[in-house]
Amino acid sequence: MAMTCRELWREVSNYIEGIIAPDLLGEVEAHLAYCRYCSAVVDGVRNVVVLVADERVFELPIGFGERLKKRLENEL
Amino acid sequence: MSKGPNYAAAMQQTASFQNLIESEAELIVRVLNGQRECYYDLVAPYQRMVYVSALSVLRDEAEAEDCAQESLIKALCHLKDFKGKSKFGSWLVRIALNEAKMRRRKLRPALYESLDGPADHNGHEETEYVPQVLQDWREIPSEALERNEIREALENAIKQLPDIYRQVFILRDLQEYDTADTAEILGVSEAVVKTRLVRARLQMRDLLTPVVRNSKLLSREVFKRGKNPWL
Repeated sequence: MAMTCRELWREVSNYIEGIIAPDLLGEVEAHLAYCRYCSAVVDGVRNVVVLVADERVFELPIGFGERLKKRLENEL
Repeated sequence: MSKGPNYAAAMQQTASFQNLIESEAELIVRVLNGQRECYYDLVAPYQRMVYVSALSVLRDEAEAEDCAQESLIKALCHLKDFKGKSKFGSWLVRIALNEAKMRRRKLRPALYESLDGPADHNGHEETEYVPQVLQDWREIPSEALERNEIREALENAIKQLPDIYRQVFILRDLQEYDTADTAEILGVSEAVVKTRLVRARLQMRDLLTPVVRNSKLLSREVFKRGKNPWL
């Protein structure tokens, strides 16, 4: 029986990380070939993962290191 | 068979990681032997990690900074208790998360249950998350980040995630811990980490896709080529 959308969502992390079980990989790809809904989900999740790994997200506030140094000096 | 450039790069990465561990161990010994001025050098590589961990709980930049500083002071006081069973960074992150949770209980006691409990927006962690039907998003992510609005949207979206998903998402995708380390830091099973991560990523996609589209980052050419199924 073909993989359902719900089953595919559960595998989305493994699929985009390339650690999906070989027997499931074929099922996922077969599903994505006809399901535009899930294709959009997979593309979106992949983009999120790439975006969030960028170090510019949640940069340290300006002066963080200096303030930390000062506080540590006061504690030492 | 030639091992190729990927092998060389991987070996280089392993070597630099090994150097980091060795210099870290050396710095820990120095601090414990009284050279406390070395402590900043020891924790400097983990500042962002500790800050972001605090932010993942507190969702307030100023509060997170104060919490991160306090956590690093606590870590200094308890450095003798670090036995090297986990990575030093993981140990610091655990301290920061505990400190942040303690603060949050004091700041917003009404929200205390949502910190460690199983509840998400629907009240059940077991509730399957159903992704929304949204227009496709094929923007090249690295280009998107050039825009501050996307970065801000990303940070806001992370803040909107329910606590249990946000913490896993930040540790796995932002701080790039593996599943085992994330499970150890949060004190949950690897299966729980995996489930929460899928749900967090799906929710992030739903939160971000409309923002990316509205920011006009998607080229109209993409739509014209018929790649977008929802138009």
